[in-house]
Amino acid sequence: MNGTVVKNQLIFDFASGILGPAKSLFASTYLQLNSNASKISNTFENMLGENLMDNENIHPKNLKYTDCINSENIQSDSNLKDPITSLFGNLNNLDWKQVYKGFKEYTASIDDKDELKLIKMDPGVSVPLHSHGGKEYILVLEGSFCDEYGEYSKGDIQINDQKIKHTPIASKDTGCVCLSITEKDVIFFGKYGSFLNLFTFIKSFFKQK
Amino acid sequence: MEKSNLISLMKRIQKDRDEMAFSEIFNFFAPKINAYFIQNRIKIETSEELTQEVLSTVWVKSNLYDSNKSALSTWIFTIARNKKVDFFRKNSNINFQEEDIREFLYQDREVDPIEENEAKKQIEKINNELDEQQKIMIKMNFFENKSHKKIADELEIPLGTVKSRLRHILTKMQGFLR
Repeated sequence: MNGTVVKNQLIFDFASGILGPAKSLFASTYLQLNSNASKISNTFENMLGENLMDNENIHPKNLKYTDCINSENIQSDSNLKDPITSLFGNLNNLDWKQVYKGFKEYTASIDDKDELKLIKMDPGVSVPLHSHGGKEYILVLEGSFCDEYGEYSKGDIQINDQKIKHTPIASKDTGCVCLSITEKDVIFFGKYGSFLNLFTFIKSFFKQK
Repeated sequence: MEKSNLISLMKRIQKDRDEMAFSEIFNFFAPKINAYFIQNRIKIETSEELTQEVLSTVWVKSNLYDSNKSALSTWIFTIARNKKVDFFRKNSNINFQEEDIREFLYQDREVDPIEENEAKKQIEKINNELDEQQKIMIKMNFFENKSHKKIADELEIPLGTVKSRLRHILTKMQGFLR
């Protein structure tokens, strides 16, 4: 499946309301930062609206229109919140964990099968060549990075599956902050590969406890 | 019911709090919303409660609807979808250490009218290009949120065929979504 189709799948799944917490947060932030994605979501919501318009009728047995007029149980509007800020607060004040020099991460405490992380890379820092056990979703929040497949700046996403091996490098000027979702742990190659694999193995061991 | 008719009913609600206009909106949408929840595997009693919540929201927040920005059916769909997300969130056995972020994810995004026009054109294109079975599969997958297995059973085609057809549809739609 090509990358764009996977991106659309994410947008459609979000519009359908079937994603878990981690991917929902990821997708809604993506729509906020990327106007093209937001347009696609809008189109798709319209399609689903037409499905509603043409949907079959199953008449409610115990419901009259007056029940809806007299109903008191509607909550007032919640304030519009930025999901990232609501979950993480100010990114500068986060208790970042350094994975290695110039590469920090912060894992959100969300109970979900997908892991949601913030990744911060200092200018010019690279990630050793690696592939992925499951799918990995990366959304650029600040700055930019590039790899063998192209350049990614604010609002761009990259979705990597098992087949992709890449070496991301953060922009020399700005570095980058990304939101990432991993479905399974990453597999590293190269000089430090075995060490990093051991590290993720140990990490997963402690996580299970 | 004609779309223009729905919009004029909605305007009567917005301007005059016209209960008769609302009863017509109710009669048209209540059975469709109720069916949507049942299709999404929500039990009958609950589906009626959620339908009530959706249409109460339509009544109470009618002034938030802007016919220049979206079709009425789209607006109502998003309200129903958000109620569904909320319902499953509250009834999941996931233990959240912090408040569930989904609570504030499905908030209104500003849609500008130009986008809305573009969306209409794209939907026309999509409707012309997809055949009936492809449309049914989109509805089953994304509106009714049926599993691929369930779709395969209902359409009496192999699971692999469902997966490859859905992939094909997504690829085909990619051509219109630019």
